Amino acid sequence: MSYIDIDRVSKSFGERAAINQLSLHIERSERLVLFGPSGCGKTTVLRLLAGLEVPEQGSIRIDGRIVANAGKNLVPPEKRDLGMVFQDLALWPHMTVQQNLMFGLNARRVQKREAETRVREMLRCVGLEHRIDAKPHQLSGGEQQRVALARALVSRPSILLMDEPLSSLDDERKRAIASDLLGLQSQFGFTLIYVTHDRSEAEMLASRVCQLRDGRVTNASK
Amino acid sequence: MGRPVKAETVVLWLCVALVAIAGLAPVAAIAVESFRHNGHFSLNYYRELISAARFWPLLGNSIRLALATTAVCGLIGVPAGILFAKSDLPLRSEFMWLLTVPFVLPSYFVALGWARVVARIGQSASDWLFGFGGCVLVLSSVFLPIIVLLTFASSSNVDRRLEEAARLVSGWPGVLRRVTLPLSAPGIVFSLVLVFLLTMGELSVPSFLRYPVLPVLSFTQFTASYNFGAATAAAVPLAVIAFVGVLVESVFLRDRDYRFQSTGQILFISLSRKRSGLAALMAALCFAFVIFPLSALFADAFSPAAMHQAMQRAGASVVRSVMYSAVAATILMALGFLLGHAMRGGQQRILNFLTLALFAIPGTVLSIGLVRLWNTPSTWFIYATPALLILGYTAQYCAVTTRLSLAGLMLIPISLDEAGRLSGALWVRRLFRISIPLSARTLACAWLAAYILCLRDVPIALMTAPPGADPLSARILTLMANGAPPMIASLCLIMAIASLIPLAILARIIPFRG
Repeated sequence: MSYIDIDRVSKSFGERAAINQLSLHIERSERLVLFGPSGCGKTTVLRLLAGLEVPEQGSIRIDGRIVANAGKNLVPPEKRDLGMVFQDLALWPHMTVQQNLMFGLNARRVQKREAETRVREMLRCVGLEHRIDAKPHQLSGGEQQRVALARALVSRPSILLMDEPLSSLDDERKRAIASDLLGLQSQFGFTLIYVTHDRSEAEMLASRVCQLRDGRVTNASK
Repeated sequence: MGRPVKAETVVLWLCVALVAIAGLAPVAAIAVESFRHNGHFSLNYYRELISAARFWPLLGNSIRLALATTAVCGLIGVPAGILFAKSDLPLRSEFMWLLTVPFVLPSYFVALGWARVVARIGQSASDWLFGFGGCVLVLSSVFLPIIVLLTFASSSNVDRRLEEAARLVSGWPGVLRRVTLPLSAPGIVFSLVLVFLLTMGELSVPSFLRYPVLPVLSFTQFTASYNFGAATAAAVPLAVIAFVGVLVESVFLRDRDYRFQSTGQILFISLSRKRSGLAALMAALCFAFVIFPLSALFADAFSPAAMHQAMQRAGASVVRSVMYSAVAATILMALGFLLGHAMRGGQQRILNFLTLALFAIPGTVLSIGLVRLWNTPSTWFIYATPALLILGYTAQYCAVTTRLSLAGLMLIPISLDEAGRLSGALWVRRLFRISIPLSARTLACAWLAAYILCLRDVPIALMTAPPGADPLSARILTLMANGAPPMIASLCLIMAIASLIPLAILARIIPFRG
């Protein structure tokens, strides 16, 4: 049994099958990149893992626990111990950087002093301690990416899901953030599942690449 | 062990329960009452109604009036809405808000204004005003903004890239005919259905202009004859027409609810040489529909004596109107926001249908149902207090705040809520920390719209307010029978100010384009 087991999962939207009998096994602390053209079902896999979509068939198991099974999410997203960086980053525009990071910690009832320490530490890790009181619109594109990353990691999740978060950046910034991400992954040891259609990103980040086409894995390589 | 019940499910069901208690239960009470005679099931009231000589002519008059008003509003409102949304017409924003004024006032204001005009002209004009033609003119002025605003909103939302693609192969008339109008059709059809149904249920204008229609029959049976059974039987056809109208609209829109990835920009039609001519035409329309009748109405309002008398005779009604409307608007804002939230989560079709049907049901029908339901010894605490009025407002107008909230919520990326969810925040926390702060403007719009609608409402105010505690719109109608015209004009002016201040704020909050 692997750390994450996706077992013959299917999901469709209306008539269109996004995921078709997909099976995928991911080890702890692995860096898996899901790679493929637009519409091949990469984002759907992430959303199924996160619990934001319900699989129609098949099951999903995380750390030995079945979290979703044919037509039902058995464990809600907030209890799956994972963080996610969305494609549009989804930073809450009315909150400062600190408030964006504190939100999850408050929801999980982490004590205020400890939460503040963790927020500062995490912002130091991504090089944004000096932007703690800024609002998202006051940050550059690269800074916003780092805040989204910090927000996803501040709760110390075991799994980090990333949905094409670097697609809007130039190559230089992409490389810088990818390097930060690798550093953070070795520091915190989370399992990384990263979605992209960009081969260079896949090569920078992956310990394994799975290629998806029409909702199925067509190729996997180390 | 059972699954834990989620807070959002509980809140949603409480909201649905409130709508059911405020709106569905009274309608059901009417249906039941109309089939009961001396405590037994009977079709007696329907038999009497259908065999009564006046039922069919009244129904015919109602339908004729509704069709004519819808046709006039459609013929003027759709081109006007497109012009305001898509062209470089000068003063388009001012024209649009000016045309909206009659809708935010009680509908009989325009009729009163025209009555003042014809009183000065003489008998020949009076014959024309008091009848079908006058009703069409007045109700067209009142309901035109619905078509203008919804056409404006629908056509503004059309993705400019779709129109640009069409512009490469066609001139503007072709683009409008083949792309813009078909893509805006759901909004336009919805507005036409709405105008038809609202005209069908209109009470104050036809009764003031002495044009006999079905809601007047139901109202008279209820208030003058105290014949509940006959009143409910007369109300049922109106309720059925409203339900069928909303059902037809829902079926038409089922697969036509286009959602665009808006670029935030609108493609403009350059009117070039036609600009001045069209602006003059629009100014003439505003003058005829708004400025002329309302100026005539308010002409006598400014005398200190009239104002003093108005405050003496209806000062308390002014305070009550503002208070009731503010309380109802606050409830409607909260209810609409929560229902909008639920609709965004996928409960759209049934909630949309129910709230819209309650909006389309004539206020007279809803009020008869409310009185029938709550007029019992054990529910006196509701029947004899403004709670009944607030329930009526809640049922009738929750569609407006729900739709406004839904439209505002659709602008917030769903990923913001999902990110909150993954952060471990439960629904209530996400609601208060993410959705509500990001929807401040939407909530303000919903509150103001609800406040205006409650303030201008006539039938619910007239039929459900506790004795001696009537709101201003009902008070004016009562005083019109024997009050001096300058005092009535002063009261209308006070009412207009109370309605126009929120409209002005609304105009500032809502961006004109985009």
